[in-house]
Amino acid sequence: MRWFRFVALILVATLLQASLLAYWDINPDLLLILLVFFAVYCNSSEAIITSFTIGFAADIISPAMGPQIISFGLFGTALVYLNRVIAIKKMPYQAIAIFITGILIGTLTHWLTLLRAEPATKNMFLMLLGTSLYSALVGPFLFLPAAWWIRIKTKRF
Amino acid sequence: MAKNQIRCSNRMTFTLLLLTGLVFLLAPQSLTNKFQLAFARIFRWPLSIGRNFSLAARTHQPVKQMLKRSQMQYQNHIDNLEELLRQERLKVQKLSGIRERLPLEGVNLVLAAVSMAPEGLKNELIINRGSDDGLTVGQFVLGDNSIIATTSDISSRTARVRLFTDPASKIAVTVGTSNIERIMQGNGDNSATIPMLKNRVKTGTQVFTRKKPGFLDAPMIIGKVAQSERNKESPLLWDITVEPVCDIEALNDVAVIVMNPNK
Repeated sequence: MRWFRFVALILVATLLQASLLAYWDINPDLLLILLVFFAVYCNSSEAIITSFTIGFAADIISPAMGPQIISFGLFGTALVYLNRVIAIKKMPYQAIAIFITGILIGTLTHWLTLLRAEPATKNMFLMLLGTSLYSALVGPFLFLPAAWWIRIKTKRF
Repeated sequence: MAKNQIRCSNRMTFTLLLLTGLVFLLAPQSLTNKFQLAFARIFRWPLSIGRNFSLAARTHQPVKQMLKRSQMQYQNHIDNLEELLRQERLKVQKLSGIRERLPLEGVNLVLAAVSMAPEGLKNELIINRGSDDGLTVGQFVLGDNSIIATTSDISSRTARVRLFTDPASKIAVTVGTSNIERIMQGNGDNSATIPMLKNRVKTGTQVFTRKKPGFLDAPMIIGKVAQSERNKESPLLWDITVEPVCDIEALNDVAVIVMNPNK
């Protein structure tokens, strides 16, 4: 893993998410897409570290710190181990993985945010569904440039 | 053996990182907010470029939008003055003799650029002014001559402002010409609700923030009534939905009302 390139990629994705994409009503979650990408194409120890790091980046640009580190970390790690059983190498499978991971992460983040006594948005689940669907549609196409930047061979299975 | 070691190492890494996450989750928000404010301060330049680019891409008719915005600003100013005039008349009627101040007379308006809006709830903004500029928690924030938010977290050079549409925001308001104080709470979807009103309120009626000693000297417009619907638990009462009177997402600059500036 090229960690400097990884940090640069996460930084760019975080800045784009917080600025360019933040003003759309429903937007793709770049950090979610990257989480699935690293869970699918990295070895387990690297993928666990990247999951939590991406969660930290997601928390930095969200209203409260903590919920997304845990959610991204937990479900990113779960996806790593799932990937050992079911290889997620085809684009439709990757899209499904992004969609389901997005829903699970969003739901856990929601509950953890409530645990912090932070109020929730009214249409939270509708927004979550839209974001996950959008990310699932866009995500697999972003895997190739991400793999080129990190210098990962995507056809490793 | 080696495999077992790697597995153990993975577990250890996972546990340590999970514990770090729990520490962040359970740590006081005033402490964890420093990370977010530091990020906004360090990357304010790329964040503002991205934001401006996004807003420019969304604006199809710049001249029309600008005219509409100017019209909105004047309308808000007129509404503020009309409300003040109404209150003045009430005062005269009571022969109190107390002179009311204009909404922004004698206050220090700290102009601030919007650095970023935290992703997700979209009901908060981060601005490039902080305690060094005289900001404290709870001050009102103006956008296009209307109240849009209050300051919630302050660092030395940045601050987080909570829009009145945020579910955690509760602001004392009056509806139209009624003098009865109500609490307006945000919904999180670019609107707020005033619950349990006795009468239905006409759509378009102005909603004003109440005076708050030390923070706001005169009522100022905060929103307009978008709809009235019956309360689900008490059908005899009405819940009023209030929407902002300016396009908050399009604001590049806001002004913080500092009532007692340090001279």
